[in-house]
Amino acid sequence: MRDVYLVGAGQTPFGSFPDRSYRDLFAEAYHSAIDSVDRAPDPEDIDEAVVGSLGVGGRQLGLSGPAVTEHIGLHNVTCSRIENACAAGGFAVRQAVQAVKSGMADVVVAGGYEVMTDMSSDATKYWLGVSGETEWERLTGTTFAGVYAQMASAYLEEYEATTEDLSRVAVKNHGNGAKNPKAHLGFSCSLDDAVNAPDVAAPLNLYHCCPTSDGAAVALFVSEDVVDQYSDERIRVAGSGGASDHVGLAERDSYTSLSATKTAAESAYDEAGVGPDELDFAEVHDCFAIAELLAYEDLGFCGEGEAHTLLREGKTDPDGELPVNTSGGLKSKGHPIGATGTGQVVEVFDQLTGNAGERQLDGPTHGLAHNVGGSGGATAIHIFEQEVGR
Amino acid sequence: MTAIEQLGTYVPRFALAAETVEEAWGQFHGAGIKQTAVPGGDEDTLTMAYEAAAVALEASERSRSELDRLIVATTTPPLEEEAMGSRLRSTLGLETDVRSRQLTGSTRAGVEGILTAAEAPGTALVIASDSPRGVPDSEYEQAGGAGAVAAIVGDEEGGEVTDHAARVDAVPGTRFRPAGSDETDGLGIATYDRNAYSSAVGAVGTKLGVEDVGAVALQAPNGKLPYRAAGALGVDTELIAAGTNVSEIGDTGAASPLFGLATAADGGAASALLIGYGSGDATALAIEGQIPVASAVEGIVPGERRSLSYGEYLRMRGEITTGEPEGGGAYVSVPSWKRTMPQRHRLVAGVCTECGALTFPPEGVCTECGTFESFDHVELPGTGTVEAATKIGAGGAPPEFVEQQAKSGAYTSAVVALDGPGGETVSVPVQVLGDQDVGIDDRVTATIRRIYTQEDVIRYGFKMRPLTE
Repeated sequence: MRDVYLVGAGQTPFGSFPDRSYRDLFAEAYHSAIDSVDRAPDPEDIDEAVVGSLGVGGRQLGLSGPAVTEHIGLHNVTCSRIENACAAGGFAVRQAVQAVKSGMADVVVAGGYEVMTDMSSDATKYWLGVSGETEWERLTGTTFAGVYAQMASAYLEEYEATTEDLSRVAVKNHGNGAKNPKAHLGFSCSLDDAVNAPDVAAPLNLYHCCPTSDGAAVALFVSEDVVDQYSDERIRVAGSGGASDHVGLAERDSYTSLSATKTAAESAYDEAGVGPDELDFAEVHDCFAIAELLAYEDLGFCGEGEAHTLLREGKTDPDGELPVNTSGGLKSKGHPIGATGTGQVVEVFDQLTGNAGERQLDGPTHGLAHNVGGSGGATAIHIFEQEVGR
Repeated sequence: MTAIEQLGTYVPRFALAAETVEEAWGQFHGAGIKQTAVPGGDEDTLTMAYEAAAVALEASERSRSELDRLIVATTTPPLEEEAMGSRLRSTLGLETDVRSRQLTGSTRAGVEGILTAAEAPGTALVIASDSPRGVPDSEYEQAGGAGAVAAIVGDEEGGEVTDHAARVDAVPGTRFRPAGSDETDGLGIATYDRNAYSSAVGAVGTKLGVEDVGAVALQAPNGKLPYRAAGALGVDTELIAAGTNVSEIGDTGAASPLFGLATAADGGAASALLIGYGSGDATALAIEGQIPVASAVEGIVPGERRSLSYGEYLRMRGEITTGEPEGGGAYVSVPSWKRTMPQRHRLVAGVCTECGALTFPPEGVCTECGTFESFDHVELPGTGTVEAATKIGAGGAPPEFVEQQAKSGAYTSAVVALDGPGGETVSVPVQVLGDQDVGIDDRVTATIRRIYTQEDVIRYGFKMRPLTE
């Protein structure tokens, strides 16, 4: 199978833009991605578009994929919309990679978009619970915050971590997001702020939860056969992993680990021929603070029950051994559901091409993006390698 | 001869004190009442009926399949049309050919229910469950309590129904509820009302005779009226006191005289005169023999009660809450809800025919060995252990639960490992009753509550509460 290269990526700011349409947001992200390519492809070069979205602001629109591609003047392309809840974007990337690897396409757009803030808080409540196990789990009166809080309750009971460790995720990610002009909540916060926030679903407080955001993000993937035509960069998709699990928490073997992440990570590391030790940074799915702790363990950054030590010792800080969520993560950068997965790829691209501004790490060559749907029902993981070095 | 073999009672844990109402209104109209029982935001006469019946059945040696008839008595059914019996049958796990009747329209319906059961052969489950309301500053609202009493009536030993008497007379305006209204009313013509009560109760009581009776269990719309009938009945007020608990739980409508009977039996009375009264009519039963009483909470009147402020009371009753917000998404249709009723009502799990592991709900593959839908069905006992839990506070509830949240405040959403029949467990997501705090490893037990109401259809299912052993 052919190698796949990431030649461009761009996004809108993530935030609250109730006046903007999802098509308009997508167009901005697309143009930003195109502008990031050394030699931009013409519209007719694009063979396929795969776009992720949960529901465009709670509206279950059909054909929203072609609606965004026609808006930017892409006609007669193969276009499909991926729905895998919050992992829609990560799976759009995976579909794009598969299309190129298989030889069916040379240039593929992977994108995502969501409009979540153009409705009342009551109406928003309806769709925040739609991506879990709706007949049983949701009908105990819970939304995602509650399900992750249940995981946190089990985790804090089983291991030494404390709610303060959960708050450390917020402090770190807000610190990073404060340096990201595209971040939704681009302010830093103190540990005191993060510890003393009001409860949302105990043990999770407000600072343990990401916002709902509007935004779009686009990444461009090409085959090894045409990469020279567009780019001097050589950012190879070294590994891709995807996995599913029980949609509802109660049916899983563990409440303190996401098996879909473990499985997807194994595939991605295997294919890339690298392990967690070779990574220079990672963007992980921190929809709730506990999710970042679980990700450290499931992605092999540390052993079970040890995630809090990475946080306490600053190992995942920007100047640590393995910086995590330099973009600010979902917590600070924001979480426009369908755009989150491709948004992570934008940070990876910026870091590997030296364009991450104030957040720039020192010559990273390997980055990982980890995108989770629901409370762990689907996970997509990609490992990217900068072949030319910097 | 037919006997009341077993009584089961249930009174909600929430209480509204007379002085709390007096603080809010400047006066309290529930004469002789110290506090009233208040149903929780997810309770109604059907869930209270379930509680009382479940505890009676648990205490009885009768199996559920032995019950020939299910008789439900209430003046305040959750729905004016769609009888309660069918959903009670489903939640209690009675046979589908049980003869089901609903008696309503009068507070004497509870005693009528016992008489209806006693008059026919076979075994009956009679449940009187009520929660009368009125306009906020009325006697009916302020005296109105809540609770349910279930009686197993059959040919085994217990309180034998030896005789009965009735008086049916037209006394309009004493107590009535207009069509389409939730609020019981009366013209409040004091002497007219009192005379109607005393003459009807006196007539049926004296017809049966009050000699050597251990207690008189009288319809008690408040804590004073029963004593006013002492003269007409020719009994000491002590006998009336032995057969009432209205001062602690309020007017329980159709369940009121049966609460009196349970209180008398619990106090050791070996015989009783049971008199139901409503709107001018009375029914009396003479009962001989000791009746065992079981209660769903500790004591007929709960030992540990949660006293409400008047504001909390108004919230809990849904008087100042705004209902489900507008919107759409994650809709569970009624037919798909109906499909899961064996699970929601009776915890029917699947036992894999290949590996014996439990799966709940029994759909899709066995969670242990992966065999597709090859299950035997088993009813789980309803006890379990908390494995993960979170407290859902204001703003954290999905729309279907916003009204419950507004009424009752924070509640716990948990994962509970339900016990299987042979020591194995199966983990399920479940809500824990809002007034209870639970943590990981706590033991809990199932009961039936309203889950939510959508499109005016009430959806009932199991929730958990701490297990007290």
